[in-house]
Amino acid sequence: MRGRYLGSMITVAVAAAAVGAVVSASITQTSGQAQTTRPATVGGKPNFSGIWQANNEANWDLQAHAARPAAVTQPGVYPYEYARVPAAPVLALGAAGGVPGSLGVVQGDGEIPYKPEALAQKKENAEHWIDRDPELKCYLPGVPRAMYLPYPFQITQSTNKVHIAFEYTNTARTIHLDKVDGPPDDTWMGHSVGRWDGDTLVVDVTNFNDRSWFDRAGNFHSDALHVVERFTLRSPDIIWYEATIEDPKVFTRPWRIAMPLYRRVEPNIQLLEFRCNEFAEEFMYGNLRKQPLVKHWEGDTMIVDITRKVPPGDLFYQWYGR
Amino acid sequence: MRDRLSGSMLTVGVVAVGVAAAAVGAVMSLSITATSAQSPALKTPWGEADLQGIWTDETDTPLQRSPKFANQEFFTEAQRAALDQERSALLRRDRRVERGTELDVAGAYNALFMTQKRTGARTSMIADPANGRIPPLAPAAEKIAAAEREFRLALLQSTETCKNKSVACSGGKYDPTPSPLRAELPPRSNTARMNRHDGPEDGSLADRCLTGGLPEFGAATGSFRRIVQTPGGISIFYDVGQGQGWQRNIVMDGRPHLPASIRQWYGDSRGHWEGNTLVIDVTNFSSKTDFQGSRENLHLVERWTRAGPASFEYVVTIEDPTVWTKAWTVKQDFTQQSDQENRLYYEPRCIEGNYGLPGLMRGARMEELAYAEGRGPHPATKDNATDFVGVEDDPLQ
Repeated sequence: MRGRYLGSMITVAVAAAAVGAVVSASITQTSGQAQTTRPATVGGKPNFSGIWQANNEANWDLQAHAARPAAVTQPGVYPYEYARVPAAPVLALGAAGGVPGSLGVVQGDGEIPYKPEALAQKKENAEHWIDRDPELKCYLPGVPRAMYLPYPFQITQSTNKVHIAFEYTNTARTIHLDKVDGPPDDTWMGHSVGRWDGDTLVVDVTNFNDRSWFDRAGNFHSDALHVVERFTLRSPDIIWYEATIEDPKVFTRPWRIAMPLYRRVEPNIQLLEFRCNEFAEEFMYGNLRKQPLVKHWEGDTMIVDITRKVPPGDLFYQWYGR
Repeated sequence: MRDRLSGSMLTVGVVAVGVAAAAVGAVMSLSITATSAQSPALKTPWGEADLQGIWTDETDTPLQRSPKFANQEFFTEAQRAALDQERSALLRRDRRVERGTELDVAGAYNALFMTQKRTGARTSMIADPANGRIPPLAPAAEKIAAAEREFRLALLQSTETCKNKSVACSGGKYDPTPSPLRAELPPRSNTARMNRHDGPEDGSLADRCLTGGLPEFGAATGSFRRIVQTPGGISIFYDVGQGQGWQRNIVMDGRPHLPASIRQWYGDSRGHWEGNTLVIDVTNFSSKTDFQGSRENLHLVERWTRAGPASFEYVVTIEDPTVWTKAWTVKQDFTQQSDQENRLYYEPRCIEGNYGLPGLMRGARMEELAYAEGRGPHPATKDNATDFVGVEDDPLQ
């Protein structure tokens, strides 16, 4: 019961025909030879199936933050926090290494209610981002972080399971709508049990380990983490996503994040691979090479020297050098 | 020196797998007739064949048929019973070679770490050709395989493994002078374990947490799939090797394959229904993968057919004219597992606990240092690659 533009203005359609109790309405997309039918409901519940992606800065920092020149900075010539400049590990990226600002996704007063000792830990995490963020090592992202990493994910919704596959490191989670025993061990991605609250999918996630982070700003949790997610279809192509985060070892009270997730509406969208453990090998094991590619190691510490060559013909530098 | 199970079904050459050897008995009936007489329960509420659930192959079947069984496609009941009896002796096996040798330490995983299941009904997973064997290699593939073998044997030539004429050195010979190939690149991009650990690229894909791919027939450490469907969509999660699980989402809308420039570890899957059979065409494999020598030109056509209340049949035709002289076909039967018990705990967290790969490299650096300081033997005399020299012990393989 909805229409949308596809590809070059070919459009589409709408088939409101009731096809029985399960499939109550369907939409047919046409693009070239491709044809997909995605009913609006599965088992009488809104159908979240499809490819989605957050489009925000939450993975940089859940909280409100101004843009800054780089993920890793050093003191500049002025002795102010706001006057820091990019530091060596990311300097060569130029402006592409900048961190975009955000009003944050933490609801209420925007604060994450850390216990004092946990707040100190968070700050230390942020200072040692490169060494500690599991994302840089291609470790599993955990929940909720998997939902707002800057990679698409695909929901496959059945009547008893809602399966989510993530492009990032090819991982997945299964939301159990039916009765299922818990896992025998703690997990990175948690154990997800879902139920319907009207047309909202509510997911209770438990059995976490203490190793994933919430973002690149060092926000973290313990193995006492408990997440309650709410997925609500706001329009055919927008899910309103909320997650209430509870962890009595780290936070003084539950807190909540909220954001839209957008459907990737390109007619040829599909999940590709981002098999990043291969990409992280040099970062993680480069110091163990017989002949290191990064020339400067001090023990296990990678010292990054930046060499930037001005390419011949670069007009700005030609002018500047006159 | 050996840190993880290799899990490489490709090199072990074998297979069939699983998790719980428990309810093996009657479940596995090979008289399964594919598409006939589907009961309504085998359909999803929206009318597609229902492949959903957790599935595993509950029996052990070798990929290739032993010449002993020639053109016999199925074991007789008496043959299966005899094999099961013989193989049950392996269950408590703590296989040791000469105490104190490198190979003894490297083989430190005893039978407890391995899955051993009842012998399957088929004498081989390969159903075509009729002899149950992989077709002959094309000449170019023969050549590259020989070069690969020669390279790997050269890295072993100065070790105890070759000196003792271990099966791991078969085809090679002992030579106390280290091979100059130790300083060379292998004939092509490496995917398998070698006796050198200069950098991560010298590691096997399994040691690098980069195994898990198609086609997937299981391994000695277990394997299963979780399938979830939605109208017009299907998602398959593979749990393979040790935490090397991966996710597959089948594109079902009839669009063409990805452009040839996009190559993937798991290829590119395009599916459609033919009656109650899910047919998936897989191409676009990366040159970094390797299935029995086949890389970027591998082409698979899979057929997944719900066969009975708790079973489906998987048939895959494997084609690569640059590697094999003809296409070949593998059949495997899967049995549904309890969804509620969910005991088949899966989370693909191989790299998160991979101490093996850095351990192999650090160990090699320490051996080099010890040698340089006059404290240890020449590193070329150490075998840091060989394990499980005894897989041939299973009479089924």
